[in-house]
Amino acid sequence: MTGERNAAVEFGRRVDAPYWSGLAEGELRIQRCTSCRRWAWPADWRCPGCGSYDLGWEAVEPVGTVFSRIRTHYPFVPAYADLVPYDNVLVELPQAGGARLIGLLTGGGARIGDRVRGTFVAASERTAGLPVLTWTKES
Amino acid sequence: MGKRPTGVAVVGIGITPYHKRGASPDAERKLLLKAIDAAAADAGIPASEIDGFCSYGADVQEGTRLAGPLGTRELRWSSLVWGGGGGGSAGAIAMAEAAILSGHAETVVVYRATAESSSGRLLRAVSQGVFGPHYAAHGVDSPAQALGLRTQRLIEHDGIPPSALRAIAQACYHHAGKNPDAVGHGVDLTDEKYESSRWIVEPLRLFDSSRENDAAAAIILTSAERARDLTDKPVYLLASAIGADGPKWGELDENHEPYTSSSQVSAGRRVWERSGVTPSDVDAVQLYVNFTGPAVSALIDLGFCTAENAGEFLTFENLIAPDGKLPICTGGGDLAEGFLHGMGNAVEAVRLLRGESSNPVPGARLCLVSGGPISELSSAALFATTDGR
Ligand SMILES: [Zn+2]
Repeated sequence: MTGERNAAVEFGRRVDAPYWSGLAEGELRIQRCTSCRRWAWPADWRCPGCGSYDLGWEAVEPVGTVFSRIRTHYPFVPAYADLVPYDNVLVELPQAGGARLIGLLTGGGARIGDRVRGTFVAASERTAGLPVLTWTKES
Repeated sequence: MGKRPTGVAVVGIGITPYHKRGASPDAERKLLLKAIDAAAADAGIPASEIDGFCSYGADVQEGTRLAGPLGTRELRWSSLVWGGGGGGSAGAIAMAEAAILSGHAETVVVYRATAESSSGRLLRAVSQGVFGPHYAAHGVDSPAQALGLRTQRLIEHDGIPPSALRAIAQACYHHAGKNPDAVGHGVDLTDEKYESSRWIVEPLRLFDSSRENDAAAAIILTSAERARDLTDKPVYLLASAIGADGPKWGELDENHEPYTSSSQVSAGRRVWERSGVTPSDVDAVQLYVNFTGPAVSALIDLGFCTAENAGEFLTFENLIAPDGKLPICTGGGDLAEGFLHGMGNAVEAVRLLRGESSNPVPGARLCLVSGGPISELSSAALFATTDGR
């Protein structure tokens, strides 16, 4: 679960900065190797398949299947405390090499394997100042 | 029994009382020094003789900072196992083994101390940078949530029955009931009490979750040859291993594959190969239980059961001392004795094999200690009453 210590790094220099700028522009972008075409997720600096440092970003449709899910009752995140209990889903994107994204589920009712669609939501105080995708079960 | 004994043994253990998190009367380093002093006294050596220090997972109590107050005569080894949470708790034992067998150090202490009020450990040292923007932006910022995601898939996709999680919790509290020093002493975890306990993060309830305590624990290792001169009850290390089974490091950590694995398959395999022991030979497991779901993954990955028979094997009767097929966490473990990022488990393994546990397993000769399931790196160490020769 260890991430990079973000505070010391200018956000635009993060390896995943294009992901966030994509969301702000209403586009879901996933990293992909320009050389061998392998999807690379989570984003990183080197392609583990071919060793290339030439990694690009491709837009994919924001649809996927629920890989796992939780319902949070304890208010671990102050900005979300008024929502408890709330649901998160881990969404698998078959169209992007099976990359998995975590997000908030709205409307409930999704189980593992269900198809969900993402909605682009603008940055807010709740989302730590970042644009996000929220997910809803497709009927 | 064994093929290749390591030639390393535990000669001393020390542990302070468990305090509620933030309630330790002592600062973190003071607690730790007391635990090391207790371990040295147990080994019958002056604490200044310790020449190696091993810890894990973002520890701020560096060996070099302990050398001053301990009066260390010659510091020869000071190392940290990288990887989050308690993944390296048994790995730090592996590092002590490496230091001793290579001749770098002779008397090595493996340790953990936590005192929230003086170090802010959980809030700063351990949690710092663990969950980045991908998580925080979506209301996810705790191990309970990240491990809850894996536990849900374990149940809903892999078919592990929730009764397996309950059995682990009940076995731990049952053992704590006979351990007067356990924080969970006196909790009668009936089915009803468990089922009616509040959700923390579905599918995990309050009683599925460990709660960090203020405490310190230390074990001192040296060569098996020297151990025989120091104590009449050395506990031998038969094998230890550190492993990471295919994880992708990063804050979108949810892309690990295999997703519900404890990351202990390879470490477990190497422990069995090195020692010549098989899981069915093991008398008890001091299992790292951050939450009950990852503990199920660990038992599967270490070879004690399979995903298919986990529901059948992981029952309360099978998991308790003295007669269960595989007693786990005989002091109460991380859930019910006290949570110290796994170091309490190594101490209990030694107590059990010396015949000093509150929940003895008659004739126990082999005890496994696991470290940190479902973290970037996990570990295991196998202890025995004989050196395996
Ligand atoms: Zn490539």
